[in-house]
Amino acid sequence: MSLPSKAFQHWLHGIAPNTSTADVCRSSGVKRTTLAQQLVRGKVAESSLVSISRAFDVNPFDALAHFEAYAALRGTPVPPTDAELVSQVSTMDMLRAVVDRSEHPDGLRTLDLAGTPHPSSVRNWVDAIDDGDLRHRVSDAVGIAPQNFSAYLTSNRLPPELALATSREAGVGPAGGLVASGLVTEAEAGWPSGARLDALNRLSDGELALLAGERLQAFGKSLRRQEHELDRTQRIWDNLA
Amino acid sequence: MTDVLAWATFGVCLALTGIRIPSALRGENRMMFVLFALISLDILLSLEVPYEFLDGLMGGFNVCNLLLRFLLYGTFLLMGIKVARAFGSRGGERAVRGPWGIAVLAITAVLTAVLFFSMDTSGSTVGLEDLDPEPALDLYSAFGRAYPGYVSACLVPGIWRSVRSSGPALLRAASGMLLAGLALLIVSQVFPLIPDSNAWLRPLINYSAALASALGLGGIWLSKTIARRTVRAIPSDQR
Repeated sequence: MSLPSKAFQHWLHGIAPNTSTADVCRSSGVKRTTLAQQLVRGKVAESSLVSISRAFDVNPFDALAHFEAYAALRGTPVPPTDAELVSQVSTMDMLRAVVDRSEHPDGLRTLDLAGTPHPSSVRNWVDAIDDGDLRHRVSDAVGIAPQNFSAYLTSNRLPPELALATSREAGVGPAGGLVASGLVTEAEAGWPSGARLDALNRLSDGELALLAGERLQAFGKSLRRQEHELDRTQRIWDNLA
Repeated sequence: MTDVLAWATFGVCLALTGIRIPSALRGENRMMFVLFALISLDILLSLEVPYEFLDGLMGGFNVCNLLLRFLLYGTFLLMGIKVARAFGSRGGERAVRGPWGIAVLAITAVLTAVLFFSMDTSGSTVGLEDLDPEPALDLYSAFGRAYPGYVSACLVPGIWRSVRSSGPALLRAASGMLLAGLALLIVSQVFPLIPDSNAWLRPLINYSAALASALGLGGIWLSKTIARRTVRAIPSDQR
């Protein structure tokens, strides 16, 4: 999904009425040729809109809500579930939390969480809201093959369209996927500051340890996969180059 | 048209051989230098002018073509072993250098020689094109294609697995190129089915196969060189 040029230009005129496209690009860091191309094609990328909003001190989440395709973002914000919040805590922070709790059993916790998104945020978010059948429902609803959906999870990317469809099918607020994919930050999405840490602290010691264990397992698997891939590449080079 | 392709292929192979000289002098992977030199020599002996000159020196009864066949068998044995090992294909390596592979090579080599000497081959002609057609000549040509085809078939599955995996993009593209070249050599087994009116297809397939394989092997080298430079560039950027 992308934003129609006409609506985008209307929106841009609204927030920066007397600014040339060149100035917009300069202050937002969006490449001029990229934006020009997107405008000509009639499809402006959401990431361009987000960069421009930030440059003009407009909340990108509200800016997105301007567009018809993102009507779901309008209205009373739906707060994230605890599972969603915890899914956006990085694996390393989660392991730190485990250590922290064992060292401070009396509850003096001073964890400083890294910002969103983290290296496996997309998969962890989908896992957190999955009732067992979510992936198939999303694939059917959007019309993509389930393995393509899985490929997005593996590469830790999620196009905004899929992010919205996933939260819709899971029945959670529309913001989670946009935060997990890194399009907007948790603050921009209206998540209260400290919400992730609070959700993490609400986990019992056992829940936290098990969840951290699952994350560590997945992390180890992905490291092994990378190492395996590296070995293969190295063997080809050793023999043929 | 075919001439241009043939000479271009020769030029590419010669250039790739040249590129490997420095690393061969340093003692890195000398076999690859030998392999590229062999491929260049194979192509040189398939070109009309050098072929007729060299065959003239050797008595003018096309023994140069027999030499070319044996050089080709050697090239494919070497390439088969290196490529199978590189792509981690144990089965492929066994099929090329195991008892089976050696038996296939020995039978092919012996029959190639026997068939050659059973024919009247006087009068230098590249690819034996101007010799009188006879069943022995067809069989001789078929054996010449069979061993490269056999080795290619042994290598294709291992390379295909790598092309589909998620290594560096250039490495995968180069592996794909090598795969395409080997696939064409398998296709070349059906040459007898190509009608004479479309005879131009045969050299086209042969040289495309050689060019694609050489470019694939060259691309693998390039991907390593680029990866090394990138790795080296990172620390200097961070300084």
